[in-house]
Amino acid sequence: MVNTLAPETTERAPHPTRAAAGALGGRGRARRRQAVVAYLFLAPALLFFAVFLALPLGFALLLSMSRWTGFDLGDIDPVGLDNFTGLFADGSTFLTPILTNTLLFALGTVALALAGSLLVATCIDKLRFQGLWRTLYFLPIVTTVVAVGNVWKYMYEPGGLVNGVLNALGLGSVAFLQDPDTALPAVVVVQAWASVGSAILVLTAGLKSIPGSYYEAAALDGAGPGTVFLRITLPLLRPALLFVCVTQFLTGLQSFALIIVMTKGGPGDATDVAALEMYRQAFSHGDWGTASAAAFVLFTVVLAITLAQLWIFRRKGEDA
Amino acid sequence: MTPARRTGVIRPPTRPRGLSRRHFALALPSALLASGCAAPHQGTGRPGDPIVLTLLSHYASGELKAALQGPVDEWNATHDRVKVRTKAVEFTDLLTTFMVRQAAGQGADILHPYCLWNGQLVRAGVLRPAPPEHAEEIRRGYGEAAVGAASVGGEVYGYPTEMQTYALYYNKRLLREAGAAGPPHTWRELEETAYRTARRDRYGNTLVQGFGLSTYDDSTTVGQTLALLNAAGGRFVAADGRSTAIDSPAGRAVFGLEHRLVTRGASAPGVNVYQAFPSGQVAMVVGAGWWTGSLKSLMGSAYRDVGVAPVPVPEAHDERATLCTGFMLGVNTASRFPREAWQFLSWLNARKAGVKGASKGARATRMSTLQVSVGSLTGRADDMRTLLGAGGDPNLRPFLDALAYAVPEPNVPGAQQAKSLLRKNIEALWTGQQSVDEALRTTRRQVDQEVARSW
Repeated sequence: MVNTLAPETTERAPHPTRAAAGALGGRGRARRRQAVVAYLFLAPALLFFAVFLALPLGFALLLSMSRWTGFDLGDIDPVGLDNFTGLFADGSTFLTPILTNTLLFALGTVALALAGSLLVATCIDKLRFQGLWRTLYFLPIVTTVVAVGNVWKYMYEPGGLVNGVLNALGLGSVAFLQDPDTALPAVVVVQAWASVGSAILVLTAGLKSIPGSYYEAAALDGAGPGTVFLRITLPLLRPALLFVCVTQFLTGLQSFALIIVMTKGGPGDATDVAALEMYRQAFSHGDWGTASAAAFVLFTVVLAITLAQLWIFRRKGEDA
Repeated sequence: MTPARRTGVIRPPTRPRGLSRRHFALALPSALLASGCAAPHQGTGRPGDPIVLTLLSHYASGELKAALQGPVDEWNATHDRVKVRTKAVEFTDLLTTFMVRQAAGQGADILHPYCLWNGQLVRAGVLRPAPPEHAEEIRRGYGEAAVGAASVGGEVYGYPTEMQTYALYYNKRLLREAGAAGPPHTWRELEETAYRTARRDRYGNTLVQGFGLSTYDDSTTVGQTLALLNAAGGRFVAADGRSTAIDSPAGRAVFGLEHRLVTRGASAPGVNVYQAFPSGQVAMVVGAGWWTGSLKSLMGSAYRDVGVAPVPVPEAHDERATLCTGFMLGVNTASRFPREAWQFLSWLNARKAGVKGASKGARATRMSTLQVSVGSLTGRADDMRTLLGAGGDPNLRPFLDALAYAVPEPNVPGAQQAKSLLRKNIEALWTGQQSVDEALRTTRRQVDQEVARSW
């Protein structure tokens, strides 16, 4: 009877259906209008992202598969994947030592900054005038990289403070920035020193968020300071540690200002890193294609390392 | 009289409407366009209005900026139809500024590039070749090295401005104390003097470098090596510009010399020679002519200990040669007024004018006068002799003489990258990362790959 009822239904209610359709159409129009208004409100933000993110990203992608000298937009010459293959071709220094240096620089910086900031933040947490200590350790962050780099450069020089201390201890001088074996570690120390302040801020905030009752319970159970640190502080500090770890790694992988000031990538290419090489290729050598291809390789490396860190922390029960 | 009064028709009073949104929307682009056109950029180009040429240089600091502004003001005061406006950025930002402004269609009419970049700029279509009459004027008025620096593939692209030749700076006091009668003329004498003057303390800190080799920057590191290479009869880039010629007996000799000086303790590449030499901590160093002016102001009365001699040659009978670097003033291909730009450049660089403070009748080009006023040289030997005169700083003479035999820095496409690659390998050699053979081989492979690229 569906066949008989169905037309009846449609015939019986032509007017209400039209009304309903009209109402629906009205609601649809209202929704569309709302959507238009919403997009209008979103437009400034979307325009911002389009101009400053999507457009440069698209342009960089285009350049990474082109040859361009940086002067005339009409001279962009597509070359496919040549720039990428060139980066990893036999004799290219991009993979070794440049990318290797980049990873060592980031890894060294993160390891030193994390260990140092954890130690300092734990000590500060037990001291009076915590604000003062945090401010003191934060000072390198508000100091320009050029000033930091130059001061440390003088300290590392053969007649500088560091060698003065070594000489006073009866040890010979070390050409920290001139010896390819010590140049990268020497710059890593400075980068870690300069970034330890922000890590301390995050970690002290993390330490404050750990409930005191846990420590009281541990004290009642007779747990020593080592056990308390390893079993309570460290596990509960994991969100803050994850944040510090990820952000420091990102900074380390993209950093080059300090290296320009202190070593300019030398001696040889002992301290040359990917971001510095990209800068040189684009702005000094006019090879924007190679620079953009290197940027995408670096982006891939940064993404892979960040995802790996998130995965490792998640496995240990920390949700990013 | 209003139209209504004229016709006698009385209409109801209407509210003054002002500017409607529609009118505003229509008027805004027109207004912006009009204001953009009226902006004092390159002049309007309308008959009667002056043409405004822009000149982009690195003369951004007080002394240099003022030195260039003097002749530009003189031109503007004496020429009604064509005016020149200078814009300056720091040298480190100059190439980037060329790139960004050119890509944005805002390139200056007149550019003042470092000649090393000429190949790159010509390849990118930024520099306009000099018209035949100006090219002829440049070839006639300047030394071979200056013309070579301002040319790419045999074609002249601009008027050379300051030219820097390289010579040997030495500290007379340190050489005297070490028992050396005078500056070295051959490499053997250079090495002997370097070892005799070098001193270190018991911790290995360098007190005096016998021969300064510095990793301070590309120009210092590569300039020293290329000056010695040229003195040994070698070249960095082959004549065809498609490969390097450093892996040669001359190149091997230079790398060997530097390697010995470092390993035997006469040189400490980590030390900044620009600070150490004025402090009396370097006995000898190869440097460019501009440094004399800085040394005078830095050292005060101690400047009397500074001497300058030609770069030593391997053997006493060898012909002298050294490196020459420089800048030039060229015209942008995108300039709307190239003829006027070349006229201004010719006036600035080739027309002679009276020299203030010089003997009566002494005449030199405005550019030469400008350069000498800031302690630099140009590639016009006649001007230099006039301006430096008999009573000038004798330390400038070897640089002036070197203009006759200097070899221009290679400026093929990719020259900047080739220079960076050479620097890396020199540093690797100095720090023991590479042997002489490895450094030569790696430099050849890397530089060949770069300069042979098909752009």
